Amino acid sequence: MTTAATVPAKLRVRALTHQFQPMASTEPLTVLHDVDLEIPRGAFVSIIGQSGCGKSTLLRLMAGLLTPTAGDILHDGRPVRGLDAKLGFVFQQDAVFPWLTVENNVAYGPRCRGVPAAEREALVARWCEAVGLTAFRRAYPKELSGGMRKRVDLARVYANAPDVLLMDEPFGALDVQTKATMQQTVLDLWQRTATTVAFVTHDLEEAVFLSDRVVVLSARPGRVAAIIPIDVPRPRSAETRLGDAFAAAKRAVWHAMQSAQSPPARAPVLLTQEE
Amino acid sequence: MTPQPAVELTGGASLDDAPVTRAQRKPIAAPALVFGALSLTLVVGVYWFIATRPGVNPALVPSPPRIAAELVAQITSGDLFVNAWASLRRVLIGFAIGAALAALLGSLAGWFRYWGYFLNPLIDAIRPIPALAYIPLIIVWVGIGEPSRIIIIALAVFKPCVVNARAGMQEVAQIYVDAARTLGASPVRIFTTVALPSAVPYLIAGMRTGLSTGFLALVAAELIAASSGLGFMIQNAGQYFRTDTVLVGIIAIGVVGAALDQVARRIGNRLTRWSEARR
Repeated sequence: MTTAATVPAKLRVRALTHQFQPMASTEPLTVLHDVDLEIPRGAFVSIIGQSGCGKSTLLRLMAGLLTPTAGDILHDGRPVRGLDAKLGFVFQQDAVFPWLTVENNVAYGPRCRGVPAAEREALVARWCEAVGLTAFRRAYPKELSGGMRKRVDLARVYANAPDVLLMDEPFGALDVQTKATMQQTVLDLWQRTATTVAFVTHDLEEAVFLSDRVVVLSARPGRVAAIIPIDVPRPRSAETRLGDAFAAAKRAVWHAMQSAQSPPARAPVLLTQEE
Repeated sequence: MTPQPAVELTGGASLDDAPVTRAQRKPIAAPALVFGALSLTLVVGVYWFIATRPGVNPALVPSPPRIAAELVAQITSGDLFVNAWASLRRVLIGFAIGAALAALLGSLAGWFRYWGYFLNPLIDAIRPIPALAYIPLIIVWVGIGEPSRIIIIALAVFKPCVVNARAGMQEVAQIYVDAARTLGASPVRIFTTVALPSAVPYLIAGMRTGLSTGFLALVAAELIAASSGLGFMIQNAGQYFRTDTVLVGIIAIGVVGAALDQVARRIGNRLTRWSEARR
């Protein structure tokens, strides 16, 4: 388990509030309210919550894709203002450029940063290899399956050498088996690099399997309801999912998620209990 | 992101969405040829039947053999090639100017917000005006030489190209823009490496429409005191009631236009090999 007190936070969210202006209303909608969060250097932290609780918004704010209404986000102690290639992002949707081959997708970030050709080629070779796509380097994304495209996405973001990886339900659209393989790949890549990961998901098992700690967000407006440390030994494999430690961690997160549910959703249940 | 092209992108070849190899694809070309030949034969057959009815004046409705004889005469004298080349040259130059300008202005208007504010009223005002309406003005301003004819064709090509280019830029999926931004791309790089390539199917569709509207404007453009070209040939023959020559000219425009469209289609397919759209 990570000892948060001794490791300095890689990413720190301070008193963060975010509002949207819905088109059909004059009232601003508060999506996140007074969120405080620390992601230690090198940690794997999952953010979990019901749909609509603002977890994706939180991740987009961390990436600098959105600007918060109030509060701030510190990356290595400096406020995040706008985008930064050091903060890699993996989207829920298929974001691989369909007009570029696998290798050109992977080379995209380094090209933006002006990495010389020889070094770029080395990066492409390394990361295509790391995700098992060396044989498909010259293929176009349309020739690949959904899982393989996600691998391209991972290679592309890793080739850009981020020190924080923000992943927004990256495997939400994949089937169960592909998802499990991808989770293993993510853990392998994370262990091979010194990357800090913030991983948004609504999948309890996924959060527990991957993380050092799970942050549970309450329903809208989202706030931090609980932070559950995951005491499951690493390295984790398919067998990890069958162990007692895993079941216990799942139970802990499940309970936290239950009590984090919005009061209106619980109200009818309470009424019937009183009768 | 399937574009809504103004021209059909499918060649009617593949019946299956599953990827097929070249070898598997080959036999499908045979029915395409057979059915294509069938429709042409049908039209010629019906025309032939009508042309040879008693009471139909062969000078006004020449029979296919007469048209064929005229075609041979036009080819052996070399007139057909001179005229076809004169027309092709005009269309290609006009197309190059019109399409390049349209790609530039349409992309700017569709991608950059303030360029859009600036150019959209112009583009939308130009849309309903037929290129031929400019002819009197162009004659007065530029005269009756070759430049006037090229300008008219360029204007005719410009319209569909600019509208498609703008639409293509407006349809660029936000996810790719966000992905490029998080990977560290500058706004200019996003324009050149995300917006432009993802708008290519639209640009191609616009250019193919532009090519055919360019041919439409050709005949009108060659009305302006031209002494060569297929449009001139048709006009000139019409004045002498040479309906056979008129038909040879019409067929030549059809053949040249269709051939050029095939070339454009092949180039387009090559540029959009990455696209999931059927073709």
